[in-house]
Amino acid sequence: MTWRDFKKKFKKQFSEFLELPGDVMLDLPKIVLFGNVQLQIENHRGIIEYTANIVRVATGEGEVVINGENLTLRNLLPDELHVEGKICSISFN
Amino acid sequence: MLFFKLMSYFIGYVVIIVTGKAPEKFVNMAASRGIYLWDISKTGDNAIILKVQLQAVKPLRHIARRTGCRYNIKSRRGLPFSIARIRRRKALALGFIFFLGTLYFLSSFVWFIEVRGNERLTAADVLSAAADSGLSRGVPKWKIDTEKVKAGILERLPLVTWTGVYFNGTKVTIEVAERVVPEEEDRRPSHIVAAKAGLIKEVLVLNGNPLIKEGDTVAPEQVLISGEIPPLLEDPAKQGEDKKPKGEPKVIRPAYYVHARGIVRARVWYEGYGEARIIETGYRLTGRFEKRVSLKYYSKEIVLLDNQDIPFEHYEVVTSIKKLPRWRNLDLPVELVTVKYLELAGYRDERSREDTRKAAEKAALENVMKQLPRDAVIKERWLEDVSAGNDENVVRIKAVLETVEDIGKDKLFKP
Repeated sequence: MTWRDFKKKFKKQFSEFLELPGDVMLDLPKIVLFGNVQLQIENHRGIIEYTANIVRVATGEGEVVINGENLTLRNLLPDELHVEGKICSISFN
Repeated sequence: MLFFKLMSYFIGYVVIIVTGKAPEKFVNMAASRGIYLWDISKTGDNAIILKVQLQAVKPLRHIARRTGCRYNIKSRRGLPFSIARIRRRKALALGFIFFLGTLYFLSSFVWFIEVRGNERLTAADVLSAAADSGLSRGVPKWKIDTEKVKAGILERLPLVTWTGVYFNGTKVTIEVAERVVPEEEDRRPSHIVAAKAGLIKEVLVLNGNPLIKEGDTVAPEQVLISGEIPPLLEDPAKQGEDKKPKGEPKVIRPAYYVHARGIVRARVWYEGYGEARIIETGYRLTGRFEKRVSLKYYSKEIVLLDNQDIPFEHYEVVTSIKKLPRWRNLDLPVELVTVKYLELAGYRDERSREDTRKAAEKAALENVMKQLPRDAVIKERWLEDVSAGNDENVVRIKAVLETVEDIGKDKLFKP
């Protein structure tokens, strides 16, 4: 565990030093939100739960929860995901 | 993404309904194995509907078994399925192909012929000349030799100097340029008579017998150059005394009639009168206006823009009515009536006698100029004050212009 934490810390400092974007180095999800109608997540790890009102997506750093109405998954690729519908909130668990 | 969807359309895709305890698992597994899914939406409890490419359906069976889900194909879409559907409806496909074929076939004929540039020739002349060399309505375009048609039109119609034949879809435009033929000379006998009274300044006779000379005063309609050439008589003085002098002189050449030609320039006078007031009152436009717009339908009037009371003391009313253009025999009984109220303001101008005189002169000259023909050359002008002594307020001016102009005009006569 300590070795893993140390690795993480080193990576973070390294990427900060070189000003590399986080999604490249740290395996963070890149989330693009268009108004409240479309959401795009790159670098995801799969869907945990999907209903019309809630979409939970696994990412490198825990889980992204999208609340809304009439949510549909417009595209689903191994590392990219488009959610459409009326998006009310996004939270990280 | 658009490219993906386009590709999917061409290779075909299916809409499937996945049911099971955890359809998310199914979706995750499919995605992680590189199967592209799209338009995923929830239809009910533990049931989702999604689209997947045709060639990825088989691997899904394996995934479904592993995740404990079932899937049913709801509909098949895309080009392969459309083609299959069309195969089942051969008549429709044949009809469509037949329609395209007919369209193409019919568009290879000439259906309209337009003739341009003809002024003296009628379009029918040009069309019949073109028809003789193989261009007429309903002829297939590939059979028309434009060079031959051009040559044929030039040959048939000597009045045409140049032709152009252009194709524009099913329309053929024949453009012609006509030869300019000098107009035929008018040979009917005629006199040249005076159009107006004047004093003859110069006479130039091209054809005919002049009856006046320079310095003559002529009245309107007086014959200036006669179209009647008098007979040439034998001079009795040349014959010897022994011949009878009392006898009829021998006619060498009888009288004949011509179309008289010539220029007769004369001095002509024109008179005009103008007046101006030293103190002038009246109304003039101020430039301010109010508008009232209404829509008229038969006798009903719907007011669109209304100014209840016109704030002007004096005003002029200009009414304009706009109507939609007639189309075929449809006449819409709707009119847009705009009434403009232009404000007038009273004014009172006072000016010096000299200025008034100038204004009166200007008015008088304008009056004279109206009577002048275009080609008249003004030689001299006189301005005369004819104000009556009793009214101090008015200045009256009489203007006289002297011009030199051609006063001759043709007048036909019967010999």
